[in-house]
Amino acid sequence: MKDLFRFTRKPDLENVSLIVGWERDAGGVATRVIDYIIKSIKGKSFYEIEPVDFFQLGGVEVDNDVAQFSGNRFFAGEMKDLVIFMGNQPHFNHFKFLNVILDVAQYHCRIKELYTISATVSSIPFDSPRQILAVYNTQEFQNNLRNYGLTDMTWQGPPALNSFLLFTAQTRHIPGVSLWPEIPFYLATVDDYRAQKSTLEFLNNRFNLNIGLDTLDETIRRQSSEIQKLRKQDPRVDHYMKLIDNNINLSQEDTIDLANKVSQFLFSK
Amino acid sequence: MGAKIYKEPILKNPVLLCGWPGIGNIGITAIETLKRTVEAEELGEIEPWDFFYPHKVVIENGLLKDLEFPKNKFYFKKQEKSDLIFFIANEQPADVKGGYASGKKAYDIANLVLDIGLKFGCQRVYTSGAAVAQIHHTAKPRVWAVPNSAELIDELRNYKNTVFMSDIEGRRGQGTISGLNGLMLGIAQKRGLEAICLMGEIPYYLQWIPLPYPKASQSVLEVLTRILNIRMDFTLFNQYVERIEKNVEQLISTFLESLPENIRERVEAGIEDLKGKPAPLGPITDAEVKWFKEHGDKFLKEFFEKSDEENERPL
Repeated sequence: MKDLFRFTRKPDLENVSLIVGWERDAGGVATRVIDYIIKSIKGKSFYEIEPVDFFQLGGVEVDNDVAQFSGNRFFAGEMKDLVIFMGNQPHFNHFKFLNVILDVAQYHCRIKELYTISATVSSIPFDSPRQILAVYNTQEFQNNLRNYGLTDMTWQGPPALNSFLLFTAQTRHIPGVSLWPEIPFYLATVDDYRAQKSTLEFLNNRFNLNIGLDTLDETIRRQSSEIQKLRKQDPRVDHYMKLIDNNINLSQEDTIDLANKVSQFLFSK
Repeated sequence: MGAKIYKEPILKNPVLLCGWPGIGNIGITAIETLKRTVEAEELGEIEPWDFFYPHKVVIENGLLKDLEFPKNKFYFKKQEKSDLIFFIANEQPADVKGGYASGKKAYDIANLVLDIGLKFGCQRVYTSGAAVAQIHHTAKPRVWAVPNSAELIDELRNYKNTVFMSDIEGRRGQGTISGLNGLMLGIAQKRGLEAICLMGEIPYYLQWIPLPYPKASQSVLEVLTRILNIRMDFTLFNQYVERIEKNVEQLISTFLESLPENIRERVEAGIEDLKGKPAPLGPITDAEVKWFKEHGDKFLKEFFEKSDEENERPL
């Protein structure tokens, strides 16, 4: 039988927390946050999940003009208590895929806690503070994280893969939390630097990462000024944003129009 | 990957009846109705996580309370002669989302269902689904019977309103049964079990419409209750059939009104031609069928939105 994952080296780990993120997520939150952490801990890949049982493999996807082959990798670096998983959401055999992640984490890394990063879209002003909604799979873990400024989520509906992962971790008695920073819906297809920053602030506090956020602050200022420029240039955008500032919901058509206008403008920059 | 069995009843010559969603939900409606009629008890379930993606998460005050998966349950009922085991699934497992059961997951679940049947001594399996046919929606649907052994044909001929593929004009006894209905026949044959698929006829022009078609389920039920010697009062079911039939009429007339005039005339003539008889496809061409498929979603969305506004949602 073929191996479902490939071992490239064995890092020295203790009391590990696993942070999981998926490529192409809303606002680029998981992608960027995990990039920051990997750079900060000088992380290197040590496991890779073989794609053949989980992806259609009918070709490659192109992102930012570059062909991207599905990579699903674990990283570890200078911190003995932190392992990162960054991957693509599988096309099929979801439960098996999540169990492969947890097998690696549990039996090879002996993890004690799980953190997943996603984002939830919301109708909020672009300059409003980004609260992080949280879902825990145990009451005890919820109590442990009480003083980190997370907001308890209440919701029912179709589950995201991270909820499925949290559930699967629960069946293995691994405490876990899913982090869902709020992002304005019109920044879902571009970077929401504010949501990235609030997520990094939480992780900095939790893991003493000491990741410097000055560059991110500068990027946030630049993005704000670009959005202000767009509001001046395009009266429709200004109108939509005033409605959002006043907590008035946009129609479906206006929502799509605003999202298109903002993402096209920011992408062109 | 497995099943959870809640009880270990001793069953006498049990037959296994399987129902899952498909065109017009004909099979699952028939099997579920039969299960309710005999008041079958829960027997067990298939652990869903290997086969299905969950369809709902429940989060309360920051805590993950529940993750709901499609239900796949076994039930049983002791009878005078042969006892009954039911397997009712809310979804067919597929490797690729949205399709009929296919690939390894479908093969595994079909084997798992048969494992449970065999554990309780089943030697015969019934599945049920839709037979897309050239009939009018006012006609009584027949039941196409497909056994997995030639020895069962004579037995099935005894039941009124059943037909075989060889009875259908132009088929020469050939056809395809998609999804779990077909797969179960094949796997049962491989494992030495008798299996019969009973398919209620649905007019071909209704196959893309996401409405249940209980009229065909009723035909299947009439055959099944005779085979299994079960008494069933159809009064309530008839009311359901009539209610859905009104919606079908309304849906068809709204659909016809939405068609371009040149297509509408031919479709109307084609449907009219089918009244009271099985008929060839007639004036509806492949290009027009393609047109229906491409425009169907838009039409249905508008139809259901309008129905919502009138507070008369047909589903």
